[in-house]
Amino acid sequence: MNALQDLSVAIQTKLGRQNIRAFILGSIPFVVILSLWYMNGAFQWLEPIYLPSIGEVIESAWTLQEECGGFGEIISLKNSCLLSTHILSSVGRVILAAAIGLPLGIAFGVLAGMNRFISRLLEPIAIFFNSISGIAWIPLAIVWFGVGWVTTLFIMLNTIIWLMFFNTMLGVRGIPRVLEHSVLTMGGSRWDVIKDVYIPGAMPSMITGMRMSMGFGWRALIAAEMIGGDSGLGFMIFSSAEEFKIEEVFLGVIIISVIWMATDRYLLQPLERYTVERWGLVWKPK
Amino acid sequence: MTNNLTDRLNRFQAFWRHFSGAEAINNILVICIILYIWNFISGAIDNPARYLPAPDVVFLSSFDLFHKGLLPVYFGETMARLVTGSFIGLALGIPFGLALGLNKTISDIFHPILNFFQSVSGIAIFPIIVIWWGNSEKTVLAIILYTAFFPVAFSVLSGVRTVPMRYVQAAQTLGASHWQIVKDVLIPGAMPYIATGSRLSIGFGWRAVIAGEMLAGRQGMGWMIFTGQDADRTHEVILGMVVIGLTWIVLDRYLLRPFEADTIERWGLVQR
Repeated sequence: MNALQDLSVAIQTKLGRQNIRAFILGSIPFVVILSLWYMNGAFQWLEPIYLPSIGEVIESAWTLQEECGGFGEIISLKNSCLLSTHILSSVGRVILAAAIGLPLGIAFGVLAGMNRFISRLLEPIAIFFNSISGIAWIPLAIVWFGVGWVTTLFIMLNTIIWLMFFNTMLGVRGIPRVLEHSVLTMGGSRWDVIKDVYIPGAMPSMITGMRMSMGFGWRALIAAEMIGGDSGLGFMIFSSAEEFKIEEVFLGVIIISVIWMATDRYLLQPLERYTVERWGLVWKPK
Repeated sequence: MTNNLTDRLNRFQAFWRHFSGAEAINNILVICIILYIWNFISGAIDNPARYLPAPDVVFLSSFDLFHKGLLPVYFGETMARLVTGSFIGLALGIPFGLALGLNKTISDIFHPILNFFQSVSGIAIFPIIVIWWGNSEKTVLAIILYTAFFPVAFSVLSGVRTVPMRYVQAAQTLGASHWQIVKDVLIPGAMPYIATGSRLSIGFGWRAVIAGEMLAGRQGMGWMIFTGQDADRTHEVILGMVVIGLTWIVLDRYLLRPFEADTIERWGLVQR
């Protein structure tokens, strides 16, 4: 008994009482939902066509991947490896859109932030295009580019660029003029001001914008793939729903949210925190 | 002489900067430039009726749709959905967020699962809901409700948490009961966050309405642009997009933002 008590005390001091409490309490709803879901498999309160059993959902991952012939086929996006092909094409589009959209948004945002004329020209446009939410572009994009990856890429780019533009512009405008003037006084060129004042100064706002735009972009991408795509996770869940393969739909939804959660939690949030700490202009007393 | 001129120029600039109509004139100029470029492009490409109809064609088609009575009907349907969906979403989300903010045990229990469901975007669960309820009105409403619920709940939660402890303690010292603290300190303190969260939620809801109508095929603005694409009526698609964009600008600028600003001014804890 004593050894057990010692052990529990040791665990509590190591992890912290509050953390353990929060973890245990936080896992209650997950456990309840999972066990209800599991029991549904046995008792069939809801028919399997409406709610598949957990086993079926996990199994469907293997069924989709059944005819896959190893790593090489996964990479070359063969149609035999359905699941990995859909995941990779969605993720690839996100990366491609980020690689094109973020620099463009930042560039225009810096320009609009430093130049009144450009901002007068671009701001109304950006406000308007930002309020036509990315999804509303889907029909027109289908007319222009047909069903396929260009459409989905276009939708995601469209969502990313304007948000990124706004955040960068506001970030650049928020920089105190003193900093800019002092660089100019000390003989810095315009390019020096951009490189050493605007971009570092707007960094926290830019990273926040990046996180926001990736969140919106991911949602818009899923919607775009559903309506105007021919591959990707959104396409997968939508076409599976049409064939009433609900276990594949559940699998897809879970994968979509896990991908977003992991990216946000382990990439974007730490990046945001680090940037604000490193580049933020807010002075914090030590 | 030159001095005089620069002086005048500066004065003109100062006037222009504080002239209240300057922004409107600027915006009208920008709109004119865009319309001109648009007109030029649609004149230059082949088959403009399919790819990019000229602005005047789009504009005329709005009369046509008005005459048939379709546009007001679609618009009304969409707005009705948005209002119902976001109203229910807010009515559920605000109390839930308050409950989470007020009680640590409740927040410990529900915060992780809320986090999980927040990252399942409303549009992704659409196929599941369609299988459950088919292409019905319920499906679209469920999507709006689901997307509108989370932003406001999280916002209210952080609003309650940011109320400084000393206000609560001050009220306690003066002998306030638990209920009085909630009613007179925490809820008013969280008011600005409730307003911000509501605006966010309605914004998300708006996107969800458009997407939901497209996917579920319910009559409305989203449906209009979607079928317009199917039927090769690109002018209707563009008209729908313009209406969608303008509606949101009007809604956001002239209704939600002033409401938010008023709330923050009235209830905000930031001292000026």
